[in-house]
Amino acid sequence: MLQIQNLIKAYNKEIVLNIPELTIEKGEIFGLVGNNGAGKTTLFNIVLDLITASKGQVISKGIIVRESEDWKDFTGSFIDETFLIGYLTAEEYFGFIAGLRRMSKTETSIFLETYTDFFNGEILGKKKFIRDFSKGNQKKVGIVAALMGKPEIVVLDEPFANLDPSSQYKLRKLIKNFAVQNGTTFLISDHTLENIADVSTRLIILEKGKIVRDVPKTETTLQDVEAFFKPVVEAEMF
Amino acid sequence: MNQNLFSLAWRETVRSAYWGKSLATNIALGILALYFSVNFLILGLYVPKILNESFPNADLVSKFNSIVLAYFAIDLIIRQLMQKLPTVSFKPLLLQNIRRRTIANYLLTRSVLNFFNVLPFFLLVPVAINLVSETHTGTATAVWFLSLLILIFSNHLLAIYLKWRFNEAEYGFIILLVALAGLFAINHFGIIDFSGGMGKLLDLILLYPAISIALLLLPVLLYFLNVRFLLSRMFINMLSAKQKEEKIRDYSWLDRLGENGRFIALELKLIWRNKRPRSLAMLSVLFLSYGLLIYRPQHGQQEIPDFLFILGGILLVGMFSVSYGQFFPAWHSNYFSMLMCQRLTMKQFLRSFYMLVTVISVSCYFLTLPYALLYPKIIYTHLAMLLYNLGVNIPIMFWSGMYSKKRLDLSQSSAMNYQGVSATQWLGALPLMLGPISLFYLFKLAFGTIGGYAALGTLGLIGILFHSLIIDFFSKQYRKQKHQLIRNYKNS
Repeated sequence: MLQIQNLIKAYNKEIVLNIPELTIEKGEIFGLVGNNGAGKTTLFNIVLDLITASKGQVISKGIIVRESEDWKDFTGSFIDETFLIGYLTAEEYFGFIAGLRRMSKTETSIFLETYTDFFNGEILGKKKFIRDFSKGNQKKVGIVAALMGKPEIVVLDEPFANLDPSSQYKLRKLIKNFAVQNGTTFLISDHTLENIADVSTRLIILEKGKIVRDVPKTETTLQDVEAFFKPVVEAEMF
Repeated sequence: MNQNLFSLAWRETVRSAYWGKSLATNIALGILALYFSVNFLILGLYVPKILNESFPNADLVSKFNSIVLAYFAIDLIIRQLMQKLPTVSFKPLLLQNIRRRTIANYLLTRSVLNFFNVLPFFLLVPVAINLVSETHTGTATAVWFLSLLILIFSNHLLAIYLKWRFNEAEYGFIILLVALAGLFAINHFGIIDFSGGMGKLLDLILLYPAISIALLLLPVLLYFLNVRFLLSRMFINMLSAKQKEEKIRDYSWLDRLGENGRFIALELKLIWRNKRPRSLAMLSVLFLSYGLLIYRPQHGQQEIPDFLFILGGILLVGMFSVSYGQFFPAWHSNYFSMLMCQRLTMKQFLRSFYMLVTVISVSCYFLTLPYALLYPKIIYTHLAMLLYNLGVNIPIMFWSGMYSKKRLDLSQSSAMNYQGVSATQWLGALPLMLGPISLFYLFKLAFGTIGGYAALGTLGLIGILFHSLIIDFFSKQYRKQKHQLIRNYKNS
C-alpha cells in the first residue's frame, strides 16, 4: 500500500529522518512511537507531500506522492489544529470537506451520525466556531474529517493527545473498527504507549530519524515498548 | 520589577514573529512617520502666518487656543484607527509573583511611548516659540505648553480606554463617531461653544498659570479609570474570545454554484467572521466616498488631472480587490497545509477568488457611477479601470501571491496592522498603483486622452478574455510553490 524508499530528510546537513526501506501493507494499523524530535511528524509530512524529502521517495498505492496529486483521492489526514478552519462551525467544516471528498449531503449526515457517541454531544448543533472549541473537541473534528470519503490511507499525528480518557477508549475502538470494516491503512503516532500498543497491528520505534524497532503486535508488545523507553538510570539504581 | 517588565517587553518586541517586520515595511513606516513629522513642523511654522491672514486684527494666540479642541477630537478618532493597544501578553505574568496593579501600571506606562504622543510636539514647539512667547512671558508660555502636554496625555489615556472598551464591543467606534459629530453640530450651530470654552480656558492659563494645576486632575482620573478597567479584566477567561452564541449565517445557497460556490462561500465566511478581513471590507466601503475628495476641482484649476481619474478608478472600483488580493493566498495560510492535502485543484482555488473579486468590483463600479454627475467621463474612466483591474491587476496579484511570505493573523484589525506584511506587498503595490498611471500617460502620447483610457480598458479586456489560460498557468506555478508556501507560513 505504502512504500518508502531510501528516504532522507536533512536540515542544514543534519539528518532528521533516514529510512532506507519501509513497506506498509493494506489494512495495517501502523503505529509510530518515538521521543520528541524522532522524526514522526516529519515522516507524516513527507507522506502527505507537505514537505519535500532530501532524498528518496514515498510511493502510495503505486503513485509517487511527490510527482502526482492523485494520492489525495484516497488519503485522509489530520496532523494538527492547523488542519481546521477556525472560523467555521463543525457542521460547516464537515460540509466543506465532504464537498471536496465528493460526498452528498445525505451521505454526510449518515456518516456523521455514526460518530454521535464519539462526539459526546459537544460538537454538532453548537452555535460555536471551531476556533472556540476546546483542544480535545477540535481534535475530534479533525479526526472525523480525516475519515470522510472512505479513504484507503489515513494519517493521524498524535490523535489521542488532548482527548479525555473515555474519548481515548472510544477512539481506539473507532480506529480498529474502521480499519476492519473498510480495509483502511492507518498511520498513527502517539506518545501514550498504551494507546498506540492497543490500537496498532504493527509498531515502529523511531529514534533520531532511524527505525530502531519494527515489531508486529503480540501480547508483550506494550511491555517491550515500555522497556525501550524506560530510562536506563532507573535500572542501575536498584 | 518594572525594569524586569520593560526588558521583557523589549524582547517581546524584538523577537516576536508578528513584529519581525520586513525591512521594506520598516522603511515605509519610517518614511510615513517622517512625512507627518515634517508636515506638522511646517504647519507649526506657518501657523502665525495662516492665522494672521484668516483673522487679521484678532488675538492670534486665543484664536489658536480656540481650535485646540477640534484638534483633540480628530486626534481621538485617528488614534482609534491607528494607535495600537499596549498588548504585552500578560497571561504568563499572571502566575508569577507580580501584583496585578503592577502589571496594569506597567501596561499604561508603556503605552505612552507612542508616535501619536510625539507628533504634536512638531507643531506645538514652533507655535510656542513663534506665536505664544511673542506676546506672553516665558513662564506663561512654558505653563501653556505644559497644559497642552497634559491634555495630549489625557487624550492618549482616553483613547486607550475607549479602544479597550471597543475591543469588546465593535459598534463602540460608530457610537463615538456619532457622538463627536453631535458635539460638532452643537458647537457649529453655536448652541454651546465647546471649542471657544476650551480656548477661554487656555487663555486664562496664559493669564493665571496657577490654574493649570486643575488640569492635572484629568489625566489622573483617566489613569485610574484605565487601571480599574484593566484590573477587572485581567483574568484569563476575559482574554479569550467571549463564549457567546454566534449568529451563524447560512451560505448554502452558494452551493448551487457548484465547486466554485463552495469556495466563494468559504471566502465570504472568511471575510465576515474574522476581524482583519472584515475591517478591510468595511474600509473598502468607506473608500467609495473617497471620490468626494478627489473628484473636486482644485482651486485655480478647472479640470482635474488625468492621473486622479486613474487613481480614483483603482481606489474606488478596485479598493477591495487590491487590498484583499494583495494578501492572496495568505488569507488561507492558517489551514493551508490542510487544503494541500485535499482533493482540490489549485484551479478551483484561484478561480473562486477571481469570481469573488469580479462580482465585488463590478458592484463597486455601479455604486460609484453617481460620481458621473460630477464628471460624466467617470462612466468610461471607471469602466476602463474596472477592466484593467480584472484583466491585469489580478494576474499581477496572483503572481506576487506565489511569493507570499507570512502567515496572516485574522483576528486583528487591519488598520495599521503590519503583521504578515512583507516586501512582497510593498513591491506588489507599486505596479498595481503606478502601473496603470504610467501606462496611461504612455498611451496618451500615442492615442490621446480618450485613446489612453481605451488602451487601458483593452489591456484589461485581453486579460479577461484569457483569464482561464492565466488561471491555468498560475495553478501550475502555485503547485510548484506549494512546499515553499507551507514552509513560509509555518516559519512566520
